[in-house]
Amino acid sequence: MKKTVALTPLAGGFLLPVILSLGILGCGRSTPGGASPYRGTILPTPWPKVDFSLTATDGERFDFRRETEGFVTLLFFGYTSCPDICPVHMANIAAVLGKLPPTITNQVKVVFVSTDPARDKPERIREWLDHFDADFIGLRGSLETVNAIQQEIGLPPAVAARSEGEEHTVGHAAQVIAYTRDDSAHVVYPFGTRQTDWAHDLPKLVVEDWEGEMP
Amino acid sequence: MTWWCSAQGIPWDWTWRPYPGVWLFIGVLVAGYIAALQRWRPDPLVGDQDSLQRAHIASFSAGILVLWIAADWPVGALGAGYLVSLHTLQYLLFALVAPPLLLQGIPRWVLREILRTRWIGMLARGLSRPLLAFVVFNVAMLGTHLPAVVDGLGGSQFGSFGMDMAWLVSGIAFWWPVMGLLPEPHHLSYPARIVYLILNVFIPTVPAAFLTFADYPIYSLYELAPPVHGISATTDQQLAGLTMKVVGGLIIFGTASVLFFRWHRREDDGTTQSLVIPSLRPGS
Repeated sequence: MKKTVALTPLAGGFLLPVILSLGILGCGRSTPGGASPYRGTILPTPWPKVDFSLTATDGERFDFRRETEGFVTLLFFGYTSCPDICPVHMANIAAVLGKLPPTITNQVKVVFVSTDPARDKPERIREWLDHFDADFIGLRGSLETVNAIQQEIGLPPAVAARSEGEEHTVGHAAQVIAYTRDDSAHVVYPFGTRQTDWAHDLPKLVVEDWEGEMP
Repeated sequence: MTWWCSAQGIPWDWTWRPYPGVWLFIGVLVAGYIAALQRWRPDPLVGDQDSLQRAHIASFSAGILVLWIAADWPVGALGAGYLVSLHTLQYLLFALVAPPLLLQGIPRWVLREILRTRWIGMLARGLSRPLLAFVVFNVAMLGTHLPAVVDGLGGSQFGSFGMDMAWLVSGIAFWWPVMGLLPEPHHLSYPARIVYLILNVFIPTVPAAFLTFADYPIYSLYELAPPVHGISATTDQQLAGLTMKVVGGLIIFGTASVLFFRWHRREDDGTTQSLVIPSLRPGS
């Protein structure tokens, strides 16, 4: 004879909120599409690491290719007055690097290139980056030079969106380019990349050798 | 036209913005209150009705003010699209602060008349069952804190309005058994009300703990929102968790304490009466 188990209203009343509360546990994201092991956007053809030299916030020349050789390098073009994309990218990367183990973070460099050199003086860039992570590297050059670098990579040039005295905004590429130890970028991270995505991908980028077929 | 606060994705500044939907909502509540007081003014010859007192109006006005603060600029706008800590504050104001003030501000004769309306009476009889009120309140609280719900609804004005109303309606259902304004439709004793309140301390701990202790931001809406004065997404989220737990807990425990002392006072009065009254009987 089958035994029927019925929830009393009391038990059901308490269980429903508890069951629903477990839904908060499922707040992680699965890999979109399930095909790529990365949450960033995989480039169909890897981008070779760009070779340029700009002035760092300490006044020294920074040879990008030489200084970042052997590191996973996150390159981002933005400006310190940027109200949305730039601070969110920088804050999310910094937050994740602050939580990952040194075995990973010691192999990652973050390079920020200003697209608003008129307002972004070296001190201002340094102060802004220090707000996120003092190890972030800030670079500055003329807008023509910076746009030429972006053009070489394949990014659109930065343009002042509107001019209202000091408060103009600058249109610029929104993605972070992740160069890996093979001196190529295989993955880029558009705006909308979350901290969980960085935490998922950075350790993989560090250990990935990119030889042979894409995983 | 922005009629209700929702996530806009534009950088925050302190420029005031009008939200006509909020004003309309507040206006409808105030107009409804005044109309109800006028329409159902009690017969002065009927002695058992509680009169309209300043305390009623003060309490209802305070409830309206709390709703207005929670829904309108800047709290409403910041909570809807920028800071999850203020989103949590909005929740507390909508669900835990405004409902008891509004309920306390409605005289019993108005409440009885409202409950006489057939569908409201049926709804009230159902929702005021303590177990159902408990479920409705906690399901609304947990449901509106799920990442998919917050991220999915927060960007739309209707979605944001829906969440705010879910908090308010579930808050009214939750507070009805606690307030004990009418002996009908379901009356809880003081000890039962205290137990009911205390039970509601534990379930909010789940979202509060996730907000406070999560390694990474839970809600993409707030994580990717333009930052406000450099407050990081993680700090904001931890503040939200602590606000929910500490402020929410203080409201619940504070109310439970008041109920305990009222119960204690009533017990004392009962004991005193039972000791004194027999001695006044002639011949005793």
